Amino acid sequence: MRLSFGPEVEDFRAELIMFLDEHAPAEMLRGFDMMDTGAEERDQVIPDWAREWQATLFDHGWMIPAYPPDLGGRDATPIQTLVYLEEMARRRILRSLHFPGYAIVAPSLIEFGNAEQQALVRPAIRGDTVWCIGMSEPNAGSDLAGLQTRAVLDGDRFIVNGQKVWTSYAMVAQKCFVYVRTDPGVPKHKGISLLIVDMDTPGVDVRPLRHISGAANFAEVFFTDVEVPAANLVGALNDGWRITQGSLAHERAGLWVEGVSRLEATVRSLADMVRRRGLAGDAGVRRRIAEMYEEAASLRALGYKGFAGFAQGSSAPEHSYMKMATSELGKAAYELGMELQGPYGATRDPERGEEQGRWVNMFFMSFANTIAGGSSEIQRNIIAQRVLGLPRA
Amino acid sequence: MDFTLSDEQHLLRDTARTLLAKECPTALVRAHIDDPTVAEPLWDRLRDFSALGDGLLTDLCLFTTETGYVAAPGPFFATAGLFAPLLAALGDERLPAVLAGETSGTVAIAGSSGVWDPNDETVKCFVPEADRVDWIAVVDAGPTVRVVPAAETPTRLVETVDWSRRLFEVDTAAASTVPRRLNGAALDQVLRRATVALAAEMVGTARRIFDMTLEYAKERKQFDVPIGSFQAIQHKLADVSLAIERADSAAQYAAMTLDARDADAPRATHVAKAAAGNAATRGAKDGIQIHGGIGYTWEHDLHLFIRRAYGSEYWLGTTAWHHDRLAELLFD
Repeated sequence: MRLSFGPEVEDFRAELIMFLDEHAPAEMLRGFDMMDTGAEERDQVIPDWAREWQATLFDHGWMIPAYPPDLGGRDATPIQTLVYLEEMARRRILRSLHFPGYAIVAPSLIEFGNAEQQALVRPAIRGDTVWCIGMSEPNAGSDLAGLQTRAVLDGDRFIVNGQKVWTSYAMVAQKCFVYVRTDPGVPKHKGISLLIVDMDTPGVDVRPLRHISGAANFAEVFFTDVEVPAANLVGALNDGWRITQGSLAHERAGLWVEGVSRLEATVRSLADMVRRRGLAGDAGVRRRIAEMYEEAASLRALGYKGFAGFAQGSSAPEHSYMKMATSELGKAAYELGMELQGPYGATRDPERGEEQGRWVNMFFMSFANTIAGGSSEIQRNIIAQRVLGLPRA
Repeated sequence: MDFTLSDEQHLLRDTARTLLAKECPTALVRAHIDDPTVAEPLWDRLRDFSALGDGLLTDLCLFTTETGYVAAPGPFFATAGLFAPLLAALGDERLPAVLAGETSGTVAIAGSSGVWDPNDETVKCFVPEADRVDWIAVVDAGPTVRVVPAAETPTRLVETVDWSRRLFEVDTAAASTVPRRLNGAALDQVLRRATVALAAEMVGTARRIFDMTLEYAKERKQFDVPIGSFQAIQHKLADVSLAIERADSAAQYAAMTLDARDADAPRATHVAKAAAGNAATRGAKDGIQIHGGIGYTWEHDLHLFIRRAYGSEYWLGTTAWHHDRLAELLFD
């Protein structure tokens, strides 16, 4: 056990820092907020500078360092990848403002796509194609396998009918990974397939949903007699459930560094606010900040411990712990930020309260983290059943 | 930071685990309640590991996690966790004999407030195992240290809920040894080491309670199914296991910062003890609750570890005390 990694890893870090100093966009470095662009305008959900930044990362092999150079990487080792995520998170720099393409579509197509579909991987990672993921439905949230959007094979095409919901980036995406039911006569996990659907196909109707903060960066997507070429099937017919498992696992695998770094930054901001508001002598407030600091610091340690196990080939259950804990603690931290403002806690007025309502906005937005990508309750189920070996109900 | 254990560390942990499973069964912890001398054979085995007291703290912590898992009684923690590092800081000539396992000792600092700050009170409180070690290192204001023979020092056992770690009041008024000066920063380092070693020990105790509880949840049937299939129980256990994993990681990290004399060590120490306190007390409460009535009985072994968990929470600074010290580092 030691505090730093070896010289070959530190060289990698130095090279990354040089690249970031030279190329990271000013918009990002000004403290671009990770949670939400706040933009309601369609063309601002992914601003031009963010698209250029993602392409620059790709072209220099810094988009997904573990991938080979032709896929935007540099064949980095797992430890180098961790260092990459550390440095990006420490500087609060995002790779991309739209995660589905590089984080879910690309790894799924690399593993399950046919030769023709492999060609979609590069633009998905570079951000040239914007993707959305059609998973959740009005009646299929945590019970994802209960999805009801139907696809019927008719010659060389599927006819798709149904509805998806909470579909991030649907209003700007060119393509969608749509999970559909292709066999209603078998147990629910066994009748699901994955289709690639072009968003401009007739019968695809996107209706943006405003969320609680007022912004609209997700949508409902309706499919009415949408014709999808049979060649757009990913993997085998009725084998789509396996792909959902893979993609969610990928989503969880690397995110803890970002989650913990955001949490630590939030705790630092809380401490700043405490000083600014003259509360630094309040014993109760001090203790609550210290408790948050303790939780964030011990979660960082847990992330690294889990990584050490992962690098040595263990299954690293820490990812479920980290997802649940960082999202829940973040929510509590933002709420504390409101509480510390007393009667101004729910204020969003630019003239009054702290940081134009940043804390209440972030508190509202933080529910996305405890719900999306497997809710905290689902994470507890996973820990109980897969890590602790408790029986299913 | 790299949490990978070396081959030697894997071996140390496995050796400790095997040895303690054999030498410290719950029957021993139970018999020790009425007769502390039954733990002598255990000390005869553990004294061979006293050298851990002056080595890497990460190694000592791997070991104390295992002693915590079995709620080991006896002077190992006092000797390796407190006495040896204090002698090392003093450059005391007795250190080699301690590291060789030939002699044992404990440390007395806290006055009646119970806080481990040097003071001028003659009666020192919360001194571990003072009646079965060879030496007591008494730290007074200054700080200065008198290392006195335990046999010549009046002690009084202060009863706590935890019989596996015996705490004493020690009357040092008659101890006439010439005091030696100690660097204040060196004393801080000794106390941080001990605090983190205790945090690691508490992780072991919390794990034991958790393992017993998890096993019970899988076996115990109500409404014709194992109670561990109920989501109310599953989510409790998931939360406790998170608390334990956090505490384990925090203790290891703190040990690394102390070994490296890293600037984060003071904060990491408070984080480690607070996280361990959380894990141990939360695990203890949920452990009894999930066991139901049987967990509340004298016959069941669970209480031996519940007692150790609470005894440890209140020793070398409570969770709240460490949060308050952490706040001083963050705000003052």
